[in-house]
Amino acid sequence: MTAAPAGTGSVVPVPYDPELVEGLAAFLDLVEVIPLRADTILANRAHFATIIPPIAVQAAGRPVTWEDRLIPGPDGAPDVEVTIVRPSTPSPDPAPAVLSIHGGGMVLGTRFFGTPELIDLAERYGVVGVAVEYRLAPEHPGPAQAEDCYAALRWMAAHAAELGIDPDRILASGQSAGGGLSAAVALMARDRGGPRLAGQLLGCPMLDDRNETVSARQYDGIGAWDRNNNDTAWTAIAGADRFTDRVSPYTAPARAVDLADLAPAYIEVGAAETFRDEAVDYASRIWATGGQAELHVWGGGYHGFHGFSPDAVVSVAANAARDSWLRRVLRLGG
Amino acid sequence: MTVTATGHPTVTPVPFDPEVQAVLDAIALNPQPALTRETLPREGVDRMFPDNDTVIAGRAVDWEDRVIPGPAGAPDVEITIFRPRAASGSARPGFLNIHGGGQIVGHRSWETGRVVDIVAEHGAVAINVEYRLAPEHPSPAGLEDCYAALLWLHAHAAELGVDPDRIIVGGGSAGGCLAAGVALLARDRRGPVLAGQLLLCPMLDNTNTTVSSRQYDGIGTWQRETNLLAWSCLLGDELAFSPDASGYAAPAHAADVSGLAPAFIEVGEAEMFRDEDTQYALRIWATGGQAELHVWGGGAHGFDMYMPDAEVSRAALAARASWLRRIWSRA
Repeated sequence: MTAAPAGTGSVVPVPYDPELVEGLAAFLDLVEVIPLRADTILANRAHFATIIPPIAVQAAGRPVTWEDRLIPGPDGAPDVEVTIVRPSTPSPDPAPAVLSIHGGGMVLGTRFFGTPELIDLAERYGVVGVAVEYRLAPEHPGPAQAEDCYAALRWMAAHAAELGIDPDRILASGQSAGGGLSAAVALMARDRGGPRLAGQLLGCPMLDDRNETVSARQYDGIGAWDRNNNDTAWTAIAGADRFTDRVSPYTAPARAVDLADLAPAYIEVGAAETFRDEAVDYASRIWATGGQAELHVWGGGYHGFHGFSPDAVVSVAANAARDSWLRRVLRLGG
Repeated sequence: MTVTATGHPTVTPVPFDPEVQAVLDAIALNPQPALTRETLPREGVDRMFPDNDTVIAGRAVDWEDRVIPGPAGAPDVEITIFRPRAASGSARPGFLNIHGGGQIVGHRSWETGRVVDIVAEHGAVAINVEYRLAPEHPSPAGLEDCYAALLWLHAHAAELGVDPDRIIVGGGSAGGCLAAGVALLARDRRGPVLAGQLLLCPMLDNTNTTVSSRQYDGIGTWQRETNLLAWSCLLGDELAFSPDASGYAAPAHAADVSGLAPAFIEVGEAEMFRDEDTQYALRIWATGGQAELHVWGGGAHGFDMYMPDAEVSRAALAARASWLRRIWSRA
């Protein structure tokens, strides 16, 4: 079973918020210049390298410092690069901490896709952030990505005192592939008796290799990160195991049989994107176990709308709702 | 089919938010007897909440009670109109509010606060409608009253200074059920084209078969037992919990949810209606229709009214206001 070819979506899509249409077009022009197919993954990586600003540019004029470190990788795997982002004026009290896992379908991107969020959280809430450089597919099939991210979480918890962070207030956070990997890290932390996460922030998360929900079919050939891009990425990640129950839940968290006893989740997604239905399903399955998942499906939102069209009314609301949840789970006050 | 309440969760419930739990604990200090068919309050319900001027509290909002024609062959309907005092150069958005209470209790005056807030914040003209309650008036009496109010608002838009293309129908709990029903009727009868439907923790599914309907049995602010009573009063014993109930009465069973006004669906994560509300959004999206869904962490049924100062309630009110701005600025 594979996704239908581009442009043959068999289901009427939910329309975009009119205020987002321009931003979506700009996103497609800037980010998705080359359709993502098995033979264009490398070309897309090269293109991404040109559009992600270096952290020195991201952090210019902001009250933060950053530091690159090499930390131990998973057993038998290479070391992992991380970048630590801190407020310039550290708090005397242990700080809340965020493990940032970048997007890019697990086949594209670098940790510097996720550092703007860390700079923002350091500035506004004194958060100490760690952005992790995980290995990409297809060179490194799943769950190598999640294993690298989990190694970073373990390192953060083990070095909490050195980092000045509160080990009871560590959040895993990411958008798209980073959302799926944050969910995977939360599963690993539960299953392995690892660090207790304060929360998992799953932004438009990529959770399910099957890629066959109604929303996947609605955004087949249209929109940002459409069903075809998603199809390419999952085949690169899961290879011949794709579409079978041999796919690890640490690769595709929707495959997890048990979603009980996970860290509180925040799940946000656009109503007009491929991942809408798998995100709603993941929340519903968490609730059925008595677990916590705050769910927001924003009207007419495309994949990543709030980051790329931040001034739209719907994006302002999405960013405010996420902030409210961060205040609640990280006990940030005011 | 036997549908019962056990008085305790039969599936582990999602916990309440700590600020929500604190208020629930305070409420529990004064336990109230469960509603029964024989003890549904009727006398004096219009005087249980502060009067309009008290709620308006000096804000520049005027109000007026009116009696408007009811549905064909039915009594007239009482409404209260709220509008900004300031003159406006252009037509204002319109809002039809339908109060909650399971369609078995309540009075429009119980929600004056919510309505006045919307008028004051968005410059809307709002109608708060008094519809007939069950079991004295089973379905669809109350729904037809609400639809009559929509027809009246639309027909009198010019007189009221309302833009007929920017009318939103909304309500909480039973009011969300009726608002969804009004949206279905407006589509099917080719009535007024609504700009949106604001469905706050809406009561949509009479079957009471979801996971969340079992998680909030005996706990929380609107419990399974009361919900069973409400549907019984509304639909009668035979259809009370049947999937064959009318889709206008129980919108979860509407066969077709395409072509509806854009929906805003808000619900607490820790309440009976979580799953049926999520399901309604999924069904709308599957048709290509517009729905924005918010399931707020640890929110009990009606958390925004019981615990308005909680962080989660303030966030919910902000998201709701954002949607109203989006809909009213573009319609």
